[in-house]
Amino acid sequence: MSLTTPRTDWRAGIERRLTRTREFVDDTDPEALAVVLASMGSLVAAFFGFLLASAWTAVPLGAFLIATGYGWVRHQALVARAVSFAMTTVTLVTLGLIVVFIFVESIPAFRYETTSVFGVSVPGLGMFAQTRWDAVSEPVRYSLLPMIHGTVMVTAIATLVAAPIGVAAALFIAEIASLRVRELVKPGIEVLAGIPSIVYGFIGFTVINPWASGAFALNGGSTYLFVGMVVGLMALPTVVSVAEDALTSVPDVMKNGSLALGATDWQSMISITLPAAFSGVSAAVLLGVGRAIGETMAATVMLAGIPRISDPLVNVFYGYETLTSLIARGYGSANGVHESALFVAGVVLFVTVLCLSIASQYIEARMRRRLGGAE
Amino acid sequence: MSQTDAEAVTTTANRTDGEAVSTTAGETVEETRPEWTSYEAGGETKLAVENLDVHYGDDHALTDVSMDIPEQSVTALIGPSGCGKSTFLRCLNRMNDRIRAANVDGTVELDGEDVYQDGVDLVELRKRVGMVFQSPNPFPKSIRENVSYGPRKHGDIDTGLLARLTGRAEPGREEALVERSLERAALWEEVRDRLDDNALGLSGGQQQRLCIARCLAVDPEVILMDEPASALDPIATSKIEDLIEDLAQDYTVVVVTHSMQQAARVSDQTAVFLTGGELVEYDDTEKIFENPESQRVEDYISGKFG
Amino acid sequence: MSRATQNALVRDDRTAYETVTGTAVGLSGAAFAVGLTALLDVVAIDYSVAGLELSVAFGAVLLALGVSVVGFGMASRLGYVDAAPQPSAGIVAAVAFTGIWFAVGAVVSGAAGLGTGGRLGVGTVLGGIAFATTALPREDVGSTAPAGALAGLCGLSLVSGVVGPGWEQVLVGYNATLFGDTVVPVLVLFASLVTGWSAAKAYGGFGARGRNVGAYVLIYLVVCSILAVLVGLVAFVTVKGLPGLFNGFGVGGAGLVRWPFLTNGAGLLADIAGVFPALVGTVWLVIGAVLFAVPTGVGAAVFLSEYAEQGRFTGAVEVATNGLWSTPSIVFGLFGAAFLIPRFGNQKSLIAGMLTLGFMLLPLVLITSREAILAVPDEYRDASAALGVSKWQTIRSVVLPAAIPGITTGVILGVGRIAGETAPILLTMGGGVLPGKSAAPDVLGSFQLSASPPFVSNPALLEATSALPYQLYALITAGLSGNIQNPQEYAWGLALTLLLVVLAFYAVGIATRYYFRKKLHQ
Repeated sequence: MSLTTPRTDWRAGIERRLTRTREFVDDTDPEALAVVLASMGSLVAAFFGFLLASAWTAVPLGAFLIATGYGWVRHQALVARAVSFAMTTVTLVTLGLIVVFIFVESIPAFRYETTSVFGVSVPGLGMFAQTRWDAVSEPVRYSLLPMIHGTVMVTAIATLVAAPIGVAAALFIAEIASLRVRELVKPGIEVLAGIPSIVYGFIGFTVINPWASGAFALNGGSTYLFVGMVVGLMALPTVVSVAEDALTSVPDVMKNGSLALGATDWQSMISITLPAAFSGVSAAVLLGVGRAIGETMAATVMLAGIPRISDPLVNVFYGYETLTSLIARGYGSANGVHESALFVAGVVLFVTVLCLSIASQYIEARMRRRLGGAE
Repeated sequence: MSQTDAEAVTTTANRTDGEAVSTTAGETVEETRPEWTSYEAGGETKLAVENLDVHYGDDHALTDVSMDIPEQSVTALIGPSGCGKSTFLRCLNRMNDRIRAANVDGTVELDGEDVYQDGVDLVELRKRVGMVFQSPNPFPKSIRENVSYGPRKHGDIDTGLLARLTGRAEPGREEALVERSLERAALWEEVRDRLDDNALGLSGGQQQRLCIARCLAVDPEVILMDEPASALDPIATSKIEDLIEDLAQDYTVVVVTHSMQQAARVSDQTAVFLTGGELVEYDDTEKIFENPESQRVEDYISGKFG
Repeated sequence: MSRATQNALVRDDRTAYETVTGTAVGLSGAAFAVGLTALLDVVAIDYSVAGLELSVAFGAVLLALGVSVVGFGMASRLGYVDAAPQPSAGIVAAVAFTGIWFAVGAVVSGAAGLGTGGRLGVGTVLGGIAFATTALPREDVGSTAPAGALAGLCGLSLVSGVVGPGWEQVLVGYNATLFGDTVVPVLVLFASLVTGWSAAKAYGGFGARGRNVGAYVLIYLVVCSILAVLVGLVAFVTVKGLPGLFNGFGVGGAGLVRWPFLTNGAGLLADIAGVFPALVGTVWLVIGAVLFAVPTGVGAAVFLSEYAEQGRFTGAVEVATNGLWSTPSIVFGLFGAAFLIPRFGNQKSLIAGMLTLGFMLLPLVLITSREAILAVPDEYRDASAALGVSKWQTIRSVVLPAAIPGITTGVILGVGRIAGETAPILLTMGGGVLPGKSAAPDVLGSFQLSASPPFVSNPALLEATSALPYQLYALITAGLSGNIQNPQEYAWGLALTLLLVVLAFYAVGIATRYYFRKKLHQ
């Protein structure tokens, strides 16, 4: 371990980079450099023009196309490198724009729902400290708690469906199925992922809801129970494919070692393969949970659309509203603070799912390190 | 005899043999040296292989192999890569069943019972015929759990919550078994203070000895080893070799190796497989290395091909 | 180390036992299947089977299964068959049976009118007995007795008619009522699952092998159910949608094929309402998203895997990509609404939908392209570099061609996924519920040049446009009604069209993968 402070490391890094850049500039054909600079500069200008909603955006965009086109003919290698770098930043920029725009749009609702705690006024707390959502009649309040409750109910049921079934199916594909059966089941699971959510919703609306209404003598056919099961079915393919990847990445020699000791296939799966792939499998379940939380159309079409908390809390025979369906149903007819409140729902969804995604990536990276150490 | 000495001796012996052959005319040599026909190993037969044929799809991996493997001795299988020696080894505990395209004909008898007949309990077979693999493959668990894995899976040791609740757990038995197995694998002294550490933290040689201990814990009769030292450094290799010789006092050991020196050092009898999955010669190790019947074996041993 | 005993490789003949236990597994499977059809209302539970009501017949079967499962355990325990049971059925089975019997106790005593305390009490007692029965005796008894008793109890309640057709139970406070019609099939499904597992264990002779067989039976059941659901869904939509899709379909006439559902709008003038505008909208939507996302995603993948050094930048991009991949589609919709709509004429428009879906497609393309590029062996690059070829030349002539199969497959599957997305275009693209034929966007014919900025404009891109998934949603929210002859049939036809469009992408994607894989292995 060196004793250099992070700051000197950092400075050295900058210096190294500067030197490298200088060398690069010296080594490169000045014309190529000029073309690339023009191309990248006009791209940045076009981006800011677009951001400011300027009608003149077309001009730098055109300049970018011309400069890049010219450069592509004359200095392809350098232009390709610069353009592919610009494309790489698009993902980062997109994520950044999503964060900025949905947060900015949600500010009015945060302001409106300011509540003071111990004399300190906390913006937005009102959305989580009481349970009334009513955008029309006084008092107009925008509590997200009913929708969070709905999302939790649907996600919990969906996870109960998708996690065990998904892991079992992944075990089947990775460990049990013969090659031919696997070639049949895997595309089948992919196709299941491909069925559009609105088709699930349509079947739920026209078939499941009426059936449930009759079979349980319900007040209307919307239930968290069946929405959860449908959403679970939709989250299933995510769980299966990610978990299957994790299971197949466990080295075969480990499993053979267990079999050679006289353990059965099932014992080897349960005590060797599954524990070794445990992080990957839990990442799969996390991603499945993320899918279930974000699922919109089936919930929108099948739920009643009433922002209310069911009583008792765990009553699965009510189906009121989730965060996603609130946005899908309300957007367009809403304006002002109401619209802004929908963006808050979006923020809650986005942050939750992003956290799940980052957590699952962390878990997977840890697994890769551990298995890498085993070889 | 130290390792380098042994190597030197064998190589010299081989070289002189090889030169002797090359001085005589090639054609006549084959006539003066007929192909090997049969060999009766001393001692009680543990495994009797009769007309074993293995196909992987259209590929012939083993052709009509017959040999008797005697009890409590070390049998080495040598030959160039792709000659079917590992396939042969995997037939003995039916690990080939894992490869779906593999097609096995012929019989392998363990104490007179055919392991390929209908209704064979693979669990029972693999308990009696253990296996150690080419690269060490300890489970990502503690050293203790690695050793007691087999007995746990067979229900011989149960330290689970339920067993402890009902008083069926015998922690003492597990301790004794772990110690005995590790001692037998010459690993006890090195790991006795860190039985609860992850086995992946051990060195390669230690890992391989742990795999041997894990295999011994199931109390097998036969131990199959598939190039057990090929991934190890010379010092670790010599430890494994000592261990193999030692194990032969209690167990029937069959070891596949690509190193002729290793075969010469540790085995009592040696079988030579050549390309096409053919067993070319099987005899006492000394005989194979000093005066093989078959010209092809002679060529192989002297390094002329393979 | 001395060996006390030497076990034979082959167990004593158990053919008879295996036949009987195998039959029990099969019978459980059959009961499960019939129970499923009863749950789906294909058969009614008061349907008469050989003079018996179906629910009574179910009861008899469950009773028989329960008794035989207990019998299997006893036969092994008393040494009539050669099995290899372990000392205990294990903690998992014990906990599972404890939970099940606790629930049985609580439900039954609740139905008998006991209060909460009484229910908990009865549940705890039964759960305790189940735990002891599972955990304490040898495995052959522990994993059969509680299972058999459970099936027996279910069977008895059905045979005696305690639960049967016409039975109902109001769930007080839950706004729901349980009827025999649903409870009987659910009981059958559950009990047959338990007996199937237990009999499968007996079939394998208990012990490690028995557990193996028991677990496999359950896993096979799971996989079969998934495939059944898949086939059932597709078949159901197909059957319901075909009349709408082929309404007025004919061969011959003016054109070669007359397919009004796909070539008509839904306006008042159309004799047969069709989905033409939405179909065209979906096609343009996909084209726009692909034009934006595919070059960007592939370019980024090239940069990340060929140029960039592993570091903070690539790490951040990776996290951002995976984050975008899992971001809910409705959030993309919100983003499009907040970011794109104000910049494209302040109304829902085709181009806003295209770009929103493009943003969604981007991470899919990036991830699959990157995998495909990383899968190209390094030897290719080294070989090319050793010949003195520049880096970009290597990428263009060696790496990209080798990665094309993977990229193509990934793009096609990704497109299939976004083609069916509703939530983002709901907020950004809009469109009418039943657009007439004239509402179909004419993108190519609408480009206009002008002297003032932005110099090029295309009104077709700036108008709200319908797409297949959005139109289906709009129809549903309109209560499946409208100014057309048969809205129900129309909606199912629309759903089938959408499903076929998406599945076509998947079929092509999967076929491409097989094609390239086969070519690779030749």
